[in-house]
Amino acid sequence: MRSMSENLPTGSGSVADDSLAAWFSELPGLVCDATWAVGHVVERERMARETYRLRIECPAIAARILPGQFVMLRPAEGTDPLLGRPFALFDVADGPDGTARQFDIGFVVVGKLTRRMSRWEPGCPVAVWGPLGNGFPTEYQGHLVCVAGGIGQTPFLAVAREALGLRRYGSPPRQPASQSRRVTVLYGVRSAELLAGVEAFRTAGAAVFVSTDDGTQGHRGLVTDLLAAMLGQPLPAEQASATTEAVRNLPRPDRILCCGPEPMMQAVARLANEHGIPCWLSLETPMACGFGACFSCVVRVREQDGWDYRRTCVEGPVFAAERLAEW
Amino acid sequence: MDLSVRLNRLELPNPILVASGTFGYARELAAFVDFKRLGGIIPKTVTARPRKGNPAPRTIETPSGMLNAIGLDNDGIEHFLKHHVPHLLRLGAPLIVNIAGHDAEEFVALTERLNDVDGLAAVELNISCPNVSGGTDFATDPRLTARVVSDVRRVSRYPIIAKLTPNVTDVTVIARAAAEAGADAVSLVNTFTAMAVDWRRQRPILGNVTGGLSGPAIKPLALRAVFATARSVDVPVIGIGGISSLDDVMEFLVAGASAVQIGTANFYDPTVTMRILDELPDALRTLGADRVADVVGTIQLLDRPARPPQLAD
Ligand SMILES: Cc1cc2nc3c(=O)[nH]c(=O)nc-3n(C[C@H](O)[C@H](O)[C@H](O)COP(=O)(O)OP(=O)(O)OC[C@H]3O[C@@H](n4cnc5c(N)ncnc54)[C@H](O)[C@@H]3O)c2cc1C
Ligand SMILES: Cc1cc2nc3c(=O)[nH]c(=O)nc-3n(C[C@H](O)[C@H](O)[C@H](O)COP(=O)(O)O)c2cc1C
Ligand code: FES
Repeated sequence: MRSMSENLPTGSGSVADDSLAAWFSELPGLVCDATWAVGHVVERERMARETYRLRIECPAIAARILPGQFVMLRPAEGTDPLLGRPFALFDVADGPDGTARQFDIGFVVVGKLTRRMSRWEPGCPVAVWGPLGNGFPTEYQGHLVCVAGGIGQTPFLAVAREALGLRRYGSPPRQPASQSRRVTVLYGVRSAELLAGVEAFRTAGAAVFVSTDDGTQGHRGLVTDLLAAMLGQPLPAEQASATTEAVRNLPRPDRILCCGPEPMMQAVARLANEHGIPCWLSLETPMACGFGACFSCVVRVREQDGWDYRRTCVEGPVFAAERLAEW
Repeated sequence: MDLSVRLNRLELPNPILVASGTFGYARELAAFVDFKRLGGIIPKTVTARPRKGNPAPRTIETPSGMLNAIGLDNDGIEHFLKHHVPHLLRLGAPLIVNIAGHDAEEFVALTERLNDVDGLAAVELNISCPNVSGGTDFATDPRLTARVVSDVRRVSRYPIIAKLTPNVTDVTVIARAAAEAGADAVSLVNTFTAMAVDWRRQRPILGNVTGGLSGPAIKPLALRAVFATARSVDVPVIGIGGISSLDDVMEFLVAGASAVQIGTANFYDPTVTMRILDELPDALRTLGADRVADVVGTIQLLDRPARPPQLAD
């Protein structure tokens, strides 16, 4: 696949080329070496109820993709489903030669394509394009807290592994701006049977605290209760649990990353703001192209004079919480 | 093979263009497309003043297609001229600027601003956007169409393409009005007004209630509109609607299109234009043609002789 520099007109002077490069780089999530390719499924694993991990062979993407970036996937053939669907990087896997050749995504079945994906067998050809989006900033210092709601947990395995120095991502492999001493994942789901990948987080060295809406595991209630407790906020007795009291003893977060349903992200953004902790949100806006061409995926972003719709795919999907208007 | 096509005053290196609103401002596709190879780049519609566009959800997939109600989200002509045009002009493909106004005066004012820029290939008039009141009215009425096109033609230093809506009883009537008013070419189709319903919540799915249908689902409808129009106007027709492969391109050319625009297919296969350009010369040779114009409008009807290529050059 061509690199962006091949697309810059040649022989027109370096100043002008710099200006063209500046035009491209205004969009922090515009990936100049993204690839569109037909890869294939290597394996499919059931992780939880209606939740699967798919491993896809596509070295061009596996070698470059960074934590918090995403790929678009669709069947290699046919027109229904038509458009690609976005999935966050779960992790990358190496081939026999020790270089990244495959990547994993984790997904939950919600509709047309994900239902079909739950039946994809090894060898199944898939159209895939990426890496896409900006990814998380790599100032991972101190105590990094990842707050995940439902399938919003998928970006945080690669984050934890990079933050704790277990793996380097990208080509050439990047060095994070800073490493974390400790990573804690606060993971909320509706019910215990939806918990996916908890062991993988623990293996990566992250501590995981769970909440379930129905109390089938961990704290009964919202994952934001866990964050509130960690931030030292008093909880009414009926909201307290062994898990809230356990997280209460953890050090104050230095940075919060969050991905999940919008109301949950709004609550996390508010808590982080009240406590003056930098907070980054990964949005799951519906997308049609994933690379900035269609203007479907907009979110209201604060501007000097109010707000404007910005494209999540090329300005995000990761945003500093304070940039989002009406949150 | 020489793939160049001539659409009245507009000369293009090949007939494969990308459709407005499906190619962003081009930079978004830099990783996937070698811009220099394209027959023309048409950025997203530009309006006189900035428009925020519609609230999300702006698009929804439907069987083999999609509905969109983006609402002409753009930062306005001044920002476009300052911020995008200087870069777009350096990508190596002909640049066709697509504009939309509320009335003929606004179309004229936009055209006059474009006259200040050197190096454009043409201006495409979006008189057919179904998502914005004030836009769609023009191309549903032959008199309004004629008025906008002739007013713009009078002031424009560039060739003019009138982009037409299929949401009319007879698109050939509108196409004729545009041609007689001085359009160098007509492009069709824009999207078909349509909707999607969430019956459980008893609500339309799109925030805008209705949206424009595009993608492979509309290809047969678009082909018929292009076929009928090519037979009833004297200006070249640019075919648009569900094109996603070389076969689709050839079908439109044979049915009467002198060039095509690729739209929705860019979203799910952003390399599609490059593949079509690789394959096009062989397909033309299959029909014994040495240039694109040799196949344009060559469709044979049972009781009529093949129509000769319609370009008069
Ligand atoms: C950056 C990003 C990363 C993501 N990462 C993951 C991930 O790692 N794992 C994961 O499981 N999911 C992830 N998602 C969500 C995932 O993309 C969707 O679940 C997927 O697109 C569903 O596709 P489908 O064909 O199965 O569902 P569809 O059939 O397309 O729709 C599923 C449901 O959503 C509704 N819906 C569809 N489109 C819209 C719309 N435009 N507006 C409102 N409602 C709509 C439908 O009505 C239906 O109820 C991510 C999304 C984004 C933006
Ligand atoms: C998301 C989206 C946005 C569009 N925006 C514009 C636009 O701004 N101006 C315009 O003239 N046409 C616009 N169109 C219409 C396309 O240019 C094209 O006419 C139509 O989609 C049919 O072609 P297709 O089926 O190949 O997509 C848009 C289409 C889509 C899908
Ligand atoms: S998904 Fe198309 S612009 Fe973001």
